[in-house]
Amino acid sequence: MKFSYNWLQEYLDKELPSAKDLISILSLKSFEVESIKKINKDFVLDIDITSNRVCDCSSHIGIAREMAAIMDYKLRLPDFKIRENSKLLAKDIVSIEVRDKEACPRYSARVITDIKVDDSPDWLKKKLEICGLQSINNVVDIANYVMLETGQPLHIFDLDKLEHKKLIVRFAEKGEKITTLDEQNFKLNESILVIADAKRPVALAGIKGGKGPGVDSQTKTIVLESANFNPVIIRKASQFLKLKTDASWRFEHGIDANLTEPAINRAAKLIQELASGKIAQGIVDFYPEKIKPKKIFLDIDNVEKLLGGRIPLKQIKNILTKLGFKLIASKTVSGKIAVEVPTSRLDISIPEDLIEEIGRIYGYEKIPVAAPKICLIPPEKNMNIFWEEFSKDILQENRFSEVLNYSFISEAQAKTFGYEIDKLLEIENPLSSNQQYLCPSLVPNLMRNVETNFNYFSEFKIFEMGKIFSRATNLRKQKSKPQTVVQGNGLAVIEQRFLSGLIARTKDGNQSFYELKGVIDDLLNKMGITNVWYDEYEPTPEQTKICVWDIGKSAEIKVNDKEVGFLGQISPKILKKLDITGDVVLFDIDFDTLQKLVSEEHEYQLISPYPSAMRDLSILVPKETKVVDVFNVMNRIGGSLVRDIDLFDIYQGDELHGDKKSFAFHIVYQAKDRTLESKEIETIHGKIVKALEQNLEWEVRK
Amino acid sequence: MNDIDLKNLRNQAEQEIKKAKNLNELNKVFKEYLGKKGQVSLIFKKLKNAAPKQRISVRKELNSLKSFLQLEFKKKQEQLEISNSVEQKTWFDVTAPGHKEQMGHLHPLTIVKREIMIIFQEMGFEVAQGPEVENDWYNFDALNMPKHHPARDMWDTFWLKPRKSDLLLRTHTSPVQIRYMEKHKPPLKIIAPGKVFRHEATDASHEFQLYQLEGLMIDRDISVSNFKAIIYEFLKRFFKKNVSIRLRPSYFPFTEPSFEIDMGCTACEGKGCSVCSQTGWLEMAGAGMVNPNVLKNVGLDSKEWQGFAFGFGIDRLTMMRYKIPEIRLFHSGDLRFLKQF
Repeated sequence: MKFSYNWLQEYLDKELPSAKDLISILSLKSFEVESIKKINKDFVLDIDITSNRVCDCSSHIGIAREMAAIMDYKLRLPDFKIRENSKLLAKDIVSIEVRDKEACPRYSARVITDIKVDDSPDWLKKKLEICGLQSINNVVDIANYVMLETGQPLHIFDLDKLEHKKLIVRFAEKGEKITTLDEQNFKLNESILVIADAKRPVALAGIKGGKGPGVDSQTKTIVLESANFNPVIIRKASQFLKLKTDASWRFEHGIDANLTEPAINRAAKLIQELASGKIAQGIVDFYPEKIKPKKIFLDIDNVEKLLGGRIPLKQIKNILTKLGFKLIASKTVSGKIAVEVPTSRLDISIPEDLIEEIGRIYGYEKIPVAAPKICLIPPEKNMNIFWEEFSKDILQENRFSEVLNYSFISEAQAKTFGYEIDKLLEIENPLSSNQQYLCPSLVPNLMRNVETNFNYFSEFKIFEMGKIFSRATNLRKQKSKPQTVVQGNGLAVIEQRFLSGLIARTKDGNQSFYELKGVIDDLLNKMGITNVWYDEYEPTPEQTKICVWDIGKSAEIKVNDKEVGFLGQISPKILKKLDITGDVVLFDIDFDTLQKLVSEEHEYQLISPYPSAMRDLSILVPKETKVVDVFNVMNRIGGSLVRDIDLFDIYQGDELHGDKKSFAFHIVYQAKDRTLESKEIETIHGKIVKALEQNLEWEVRK
Repeated sequence: MNDIDLKNLRNQAEQEIKKAKNLNELNKVFKEYLGKKGQVSLIFKKLKNAAPKQRISVRKELNSLKSFLQLEFKKKQEQLEISNSVEQKTWFDVTAPGHKEQMGHLHPLTIVKREIMIIFQEMGFEVAQGPEVENDWYNFDALNMPKHHPARDMWDTFWLKPRKSDLLLRTHTSPVQIRYMEKHKPPLKIIAPGKVFRHEATDASHEFQLYQLEGLMIDRDISVSNFKAIIYEFLKRFFKKNVSIRLRPSYFPFTEPSFEIDMGCTACEGKGCSVCSQTGWLEMAGAGMVNPNVLKNVGLDSKEWQGFAFGFGIDRLTMMRYKIPEIRLFHSGDLRFLKQF
């Protein structure tokens, strides 16, 4: 909110510090000052009033009170006394009806007759201008002036334009319409509070006046409204109508109901002075439940306990008094002071609120620095973070670079990857079409990274660790899986951590699949997961629609009988749709599931003290034979004595028959409890060879 | 054969060893004197014919000459070997470029996040996490912001469809405080790093997807003094130099009192420059003493427990650390950027 430096000065008995100093004082004790600008002989300060203090500081008097407390000055309030015309009674001229006291706890009105609507005097125009308001006429300007001075929004109706000279505060009826002073049309509903005359709504309560009974140059008699509205109702209406005003800003934060009276008197007095009006006697005041000041008992020891520094009692009392709090001596017992909170301080309700007031005015810079006294309990290790960071390190060692992408995808991306739109989680208010849906997979945005980087690199390896989102359909079933479920009204969201990545090459990357498979093996092995195997990718009907993978060149990554992710070539259809020429091999791992296997499986393997021996084995097999089939035979026969089998060559050359290929293995034999003698090794090796040759198409080369 | 002969021999050999310019020459000298047919060996052979008395004394001298020469040869040999390798070094071009391994890179936000986690873990803080999609109870209500509370405007929010689901993308990491306190009893000290989302237009210094670090410490008498000590220690360790801090009053519904933490500008040492908009201070974090209503919402007795909470942007710390001028680079996926870390 904008404040005039000179205007603030009017309420203080001593000279304000220079504008520049004022900024830093306010920043350290009250509010941040966004900007300062010199205008003629004045300064305009843009002060960022925090949302809890709109109630008492959205006014020049409010800020002046802060300054008085900080500088230890005296506050000089303006004159609120008025001269009334005893011949006219306001209540005889206008009738006020409030239908809902929750929605409108107070409605005060005055009637002023015989006014002369004219231009405002220069001093008034200037003050409004500095604070960013346009001058309209003397009457309207005064209402705005008093709002900037006291914080109470006021509204003025031309009495003669009000049907039956009546004002009713009620909720709008469905279908009712209003045109505001600035010619905007709104369609209303039952949740919007209006001020109406006998016939139609004449103002949006607490937000903006209607055009109908607005003041014009012919206006003679006015009704001055100074009211208090329910903050939630004003806020909802303002949001619904998408209409924010100086008045709605103040009302939605809550204002002191006791402020209507001094503000209406102040405005009436000024209208009398500047527009030569006559004030009818009395305020027509609907105020069924008078708001009384709260009392808080402040334990002096708690001030020190919370702030950590001792502040002398005398200073505590002085700070509170200067801020407008009353200390009730009669109710003060040893160690506790009874504090009466002014009704303008809607933000103060617990002792901690008072401690903040004391702390900030006293100065946080004076509070000593002291290390906490605590018992030493070493922090528990967060295993989720441990394994996340551990895997990132492994991938980095394998020459992968980490990317972080947005957690959203566009509709176009969803379509490219075959996601069913209605199964995705949609954002109600995306900033752009790129944020339409929460990402159901990390892959779409990783592919976007491919597009970007192919402009500069012909080969790269990237990965991302992040969350993917989906709808929870069967909650009971979902809970058994290691994942996070967040419950909303009629919608529950599953969050899963995924680790995904890719190798991209502009040229054909024949070996990329095996390269990536080696990386995944390394990652899983280092995480202590040993029973990793790769199964042919057999998509479920649902997965078939999501066409990320080139089915013939993709595998399911399995640990024991659990599927932890996929590995494979990206579908050529997607490459085509994305207009990428090159070769991309991906992995996509459900990290929550994977980590669960880690915690269960990470176990030290005894290193055998007995020597190992290596034998090589080369086998000629038909072209379609899978390595895993050969492995299985060797493992089955070799049993616990085969410690490791390493495939070191696959050969498919001219001198072999066109439909054959050869595998070459190193087999490492070792026992855990004894030295294997060469005779024993030859026997097992022989058995393996024999078993392999039982398959008539396989030929062990000797 | 007399003493003089041996002395001459010794001098002569010594000279020749000295003169040898390389190992080859030295080898020749060695053969000349100590080889099978060398001069020393010859004298030994001649000795067989000498008188027994003379034989004993000359042999003694010859042996000492032999070991003297062996030592000299060894010294000279080491000397030549060293100078030899020096000679080779002059042939070696150290300025030729090194062969680079294509290494992988961690994201700068990961690097900085790890650093922050280590500092707080060393101070005894545990790391907690929470979901990125939240319901409005955890993101707002439990943090002392009931529905229609105007302070909710301080956090521009992405909502999920339908709006009535009350599900949103968390606007801060503060919901983790609530989730953690529901499950753990004090005393407690946690930090919670994580993704947060703000519904606001982006530019060089604004992003709609950010990384925040939440901190929470609850015990019987944790005070503002203690908070100052912890945050000071953190900033000092992170920036690896002495820093100045100040607290300014602020407002968050979940803390009372609330403040902003400023750090003396590290670029100008507080004198005022473009980095700190001439103020000499940089805004680092929002913080405060946990509001008793928040403690009540998780079932804690606010008369018994109190403490502080704080939150700051990991993006901002990372930008300061590496002097990155543009926040949107973090999500660009551009390897020209990522490979610099």
